[in-house]
Amino acid sequence: MSFAPQDWFWLYDIPTPQLALWFVAAFVGFYWLGSILVRPLLRQFIRHTAGANDIVGYVLSCFCVFYGLLLGLIAVTAYQNVSTAGENVTREAAALSALYEDVSRYPEPHGQNLRWLLRDYTRYVIRYAWPLQRRGIIPEEGTIRAEAFHEKLLEFQPRTPAEEIIHAEALRQFNNFLEFRRMRLLSVNATLPAAMWYVMILGAVLNIAICWLFDMRFITQLVLGGILAAYLGTMMFLIFDMNQPFRGDVSITPEAFEMLYRRMDEE
Amino acid sequence: MGSAIPLGDATLLPRRRALAGGAAATLAAARLLAPALFAGCTSGGDPRGRTVRVGLLHSQTGPLAISATGLRDIELHACERINAGGGILGRTLDVRAPNPRSRPDLFVKRARQLVDEGAVALFGCWTSLSRKAVLPIVEEARRLLFYAVSYEGNESSPYCVYGGMLPNQQIMPALDWLAGAGGGRRRKVFLVGSDYVFPRTANFVARRHLAGKDLKPVGTAYVPLGDRDFGAVVKRIRESGADCVLSTVNGDSNLGLFAALADAMIDPAKLPVVSTSIAEDELRSLLPAQVQGHYAVSSYFQSLDTPANREWVSGFRREFGFDRVTGDPMEPDWCLVHLWKLAVEKAGSFDTEALRQAFRDGLEFAGPGGPVRLDPKTQHTTKFFRVGRIRADRQFDIVHASEVPLDPDPYPQVAFPGWSVDWTKDGVTRGPEVDIDGPV
Repeated sequence: MSFAPQDWFWLYDIPTPQLALWFVAAFVGFYWLGSILVRPLLRQFIRHTAGANDIVGYVLSCFCVFYGLLLGLIAVTAYQNVSTAGENVTREAAALSALYEDVSRYPEPHGQNLRWLLRDYTRYVIRYAWPLQRRGIIPEEGTIRAEAFHEKLLEFQPRTPAEEIIHAEALRQFNNFLEFRRMRLLSVNATLPAAMWYVMILGAVLNIAICWLFDMRFITQLVLGGILAAYLGTMMFLIFDMNQPFRGDVSITPEAFEMLYRRMDEE
Repeated sequence: MGSAIPLGDATLLPRRRALAGGAAATLAAARLLAPALFAGCTSGGDPRGRTVRVGLLHSQTGPLAISATGLRDIELHACERINAGGGILGRTLDVRAPNPRSRPDLFVKRARQLVDEGAVALFGCWTSLSRKAVLPIVEEARRLLFYAVSYEGNESSPYCVYGGMLPNQQIMPALDWLAGAGGGRRRKVFLVGSDYVFPRTANFVARRHLAGKDLKPVGTAYVPLGDRDFGAVVKRIRESGADCVLSTVNGDSNLGLFAALADAMIDPAKLPVVSTSIAEDELRSLLPAQVQGHYAVSSYFQSLDTPANREWVSGFRREFGFDRVTGDPMEPDWCLVHLWKLAVEKAGSFDTEALRQAFRDGLEFAGPGGPVRLDPKTQHTTKFFRVGRIRADRQFDIVHASEVPLDPDPYPQVAFPGWSVDWTKDGVTRGPEVDIDGPV
């Protein structure tokens, strides 16, 4: 059985509310199952120790501090990944928009040909690239469209100083666009390293195992431990959902490109 | 009842009750949450089972991109429409469009890649060179290639469906039109083309067709595909005394041809060029002042004034932009995608042999340019013949049209005596070898 992060990406295909419930159910179920099967065995170690609950509570508090810090930092990192990818998408769309403006000033038929090549690229990103990105696949055919545009752009020979300036600016914008586009593609599969997941999962298991050591009424333990397990499940779900910038509900939408395409279409 | 229980079991009773209660609560919670947990989930089957892969093989960069990109877009449009309507046999089309970059060697690589990725059908190729390069791959893999561009004929593959015009549907009627009253009763034609299979074979058919007729070929010239230097060719045209030109120049070489004609101040009324490979998409890149008044021969023009065509054109433009144009071979390409859909639905399968069987029963589709029938004997389509004069707004005035669609004949007997094809019977009947570069 593989534990590589990408082997679990099929979970993103589950609708988000259901996935959240799955995470919570898995953690609570694990805790309850352990309470029934493992708890009697674990409690043998401390059954006759005076103030056992105090000791377990102290260990749990210490553990929770470290584990909480880890979860918090990882959650922030995951959110920053999403945020950076979102910025790159916005910048790519902005560069595309500026490029569209630049080539609109080219003489015909160059201007029209270049404009529709950019529109074609934008349409591809919205219609084809985004659904692929949502499945964790790096879309390849956008590169072809970018190459087609570059080829046509280089065909243009400026004849006046004004055209030379516009052409130089268009080439600069095109390079910006390529840079942001490359960064978007690289972030499609940007994910937390497998080692982080191992540490998080181990931490969650230990956290739950410590709870099994408490000596209290069974029902009380099920309820209190269940609440803790449910929140752990929620945190893990949040990190998992943010782990892939283009997958799940906490992900980047093609809105920037859609707005640009609407404007191109209106023109 | 409690008093009957021995003392040793008294502490166990509340725990058992609690366990039973816990189990019952767990089951109740699971039952309560189950609809929410499982809603929207699938059995985890292969998602590709719900899609079927289709390959589009068109140059999106290089000299042929000017023409071929429109084909890619119309095929995408057709596939998107089919998917929006529920797909074919309940499966949506997963379209892949790699870029062969106008290079025949890359056409081979990309075709192989598409076949290996499981594409059930390929739509594409522009030049005959690329088609001939791809055919061995589809024949070996037993997949179908749908080819929408006008070509030279003299070819039949059981794994290719040809949707473009054949010489008997385009070149030969064009020459007859030039020699007739509609074309100005021309008497001397100069044949100019790109240097590859289609122009050479088409010109061979043209010279054979003109043998013994009033319209005479007075010269032939070929320029490498992608070359834009036509100065010497135009000089030869002038020196030949030709009163019309039949052009099989392809791709962006047309920019050079018409620029050279304009530089030589050639009047289209006196020396019209009749192009076989210029459509509205190519006109986007040509200057109207250089091409206005010249002609193109094809089966479809965007300016065709019928409700079906108006609806089709506006549908394409709504999707791809209001400055986009349709033309030949985009219209035949649209028809080919839908003929494939009809064949799949008729066969109830995507299997190539089942589709070929469906072809044998005959297929018809009401295309934007008029009804299209797939001829089961040749796996070519019937075509209208239309002549369009180029306008200043990069559109065509249709100045002539055949009354009925012309049947396809990949081996016109005037050029390929003894050759024929019938895929419902014995396939290709071979005649004597023909040297297309030899004397007519």
